[in-house]
Amino acid sequence: MATFNFKKREIECKIVYYGPGRCGKTTNLEYIFKTYKKQIAGEMVSIDTEGDRTLFFDFLPMGLGKIKGCDVKVQLYTVPGQVQYSSTRKLVLKEVDGLVFVADSLEVRREKNMLSLKDLHENLKSYGASIFKVPLVMQYNKRDLEEEGIPLMPIERMDQDLNRQLKAPCFSASAIKGQGVPQTITECLKLTLLNLQRQLKWAK
Amino acid sequence: MDPKDQIVSLLKEADLYQKQGLLNEAKERYKKATDIIKNNAGIKNGQELIASIVKKVVELNQKINTINQATSKPAVSDKKQDLIKKLFASSGEKKDGRHDLEGAIALAKFGQFDRALEEFERLLDDETVRVAAAKNIVRCHLESESPEDAAQSFERWVGDDRFSTAQLDKIRFFIEGRFRKLGFERELYQHEETVSEEDIEDLEMVSDSNEAVDTPGTDHGVESQPVVLEDMELPEEDEFLDINSVGIQLQTGVQKGRMIELDVSFQTGNSINLIVSSKESTLLGELEKGTELTDMQFFSPIAILNGSGVVTAKTQIKSGPKEGDYSLDITILTT
Repeated sequence: MATFNFKKREIECKIVYYGPGRCGKTTNLEYIFKTYKKQIAGEMVSIDTEGDRTLFFDFLPMGLGKIKGCDVKVQLYTVPGQVQYSSTRKLVLKEVDGLVFVADSLEVRREKNMLSLKDLHENLKSYGASIFKVPLVMQYNKRDLEEEGIPLMPIERMDQDLNRQLKAPCFSASAIKGQGVPQTITECLKLTLLNLQRQLKWAK
Repeated sequence: MDPKDQIVSLLKEADLYQKQGLLNEAKERYKKATDIIKNNAGIKNGQELIASIVKKVVELNQKINTINQATSKPAVSDKKQDLIKKLFASSGEKKDGRHDLEGAIALAKFGQFDRALEEFERLLDDETVRVAAAKNIVRCHLESESPEDAAQSFERWVGDDRFSTAQLDKIRFFIEGRFRKLGFERELYQHEETVSEEDIEDLEMVSDSNEAVDTPGTDHGVESQPVVLEDMELPEEDEFLDINSVGIQLQTGVQKGRMIELDVSFQTGNSINLIVSSKESTLLGELEKGTELTDMQFFSPIAILNGSGVVTAKTQIKSGPKEGDYSLDITILTT
């Protein structure tokens, strides 16, 4: 849950990038870190392991400046995607305010996407939250690989698989090239801050 | 597609998956390519190609092994441990015992047991979180597979003035429960006082004071300890995984071999309940009470398991929105 300091008129919220292993969550954060220097409020911290797999989480603090008279700070996190890091994922998800679900467009990763979304649903449920209520944006990543002739799932199929019930805003992306990354985070921030405004009435 | 083109395409995919870190997928593509080469004797330089693929697969296997063998929770730098504490102690900026306890619990949850133990030991000085800190010390030892260290810690606390008898009883009860679950047999040393007649009045006073300590909501009572400790509970290994859905393969009819995925509507232990639409007539025809399902898939949030089950009940729903559909109870036999 976001913290709102009435005295300082400062709000701090937490956005988590979720998705199966190797889908590009860290790459999203790396692109944001590289591209939005002005908004970055510190170093990007990655705790990774063998094969550059996220082990615990990546963390990137951002400052969006004053919005409606309030200083808005955002913490971006990724979770480890590998199945075995279930307890760590759940821990990172605690008190999340907004979510980006990064799905891998590779056909061979179809099942992993679905399992990861189910995992997200279950983990949110365990905190008494609903995947239908937490601000969520879908990102269909690795679209650039189509040019290399690698079998990708059509967007419609991914939408059918993952977004049929959720009907979350979705974006095609190539995180490695930065395509779709700004749109995804912008939409997620917008939804998150609107949701927090409804709950905390932080904006003047 | 021409076998040659197929092989080229598979090898290209495999290389790309490898670059993406999708090692198992890469391996699978190499295997498919090898199968095609073996089945097409006319392919030029087939044996050389297979040898080069085998070399790549060996390298892949080495990478997969390295990843699998890497410890899942290695100790990280002090700076990163500080960050974990800061980010995952949820009681905000208030710097008190509870805040510090949450920070130490976060470290333990991320497997930073040595540092967490140091912090918990320090927190034993804080009356408000003493019992919680002690229980977490025990838990850290158990998570590190050192139950003997847990027992020895307790025995040290028995002679420690900081702990009241009531607090020690609670901790001992907690440890004994954990030991029972682990099947670890170890009697804990109990400090036995010889009670003389002169002590009887005092004993009554001690008893009163212990009651006060146990009162919920008091500032220093055991019961007022944050319940955050329960957050650390890990699922017991003998517990059944939550099954979200199951896959059942059709054994007859034109769609023989087709896997039908059904959502689990209710689960207790190894018994699951499914609602099957009346439209799935082929499947319903195959599933009768007593039918053994030898080729099932169980989808849990953390894994897909293959296994078997037996239909223990099949009832048609007589009213409500699912009227006409069937409610099936399946007992999971093996996964």
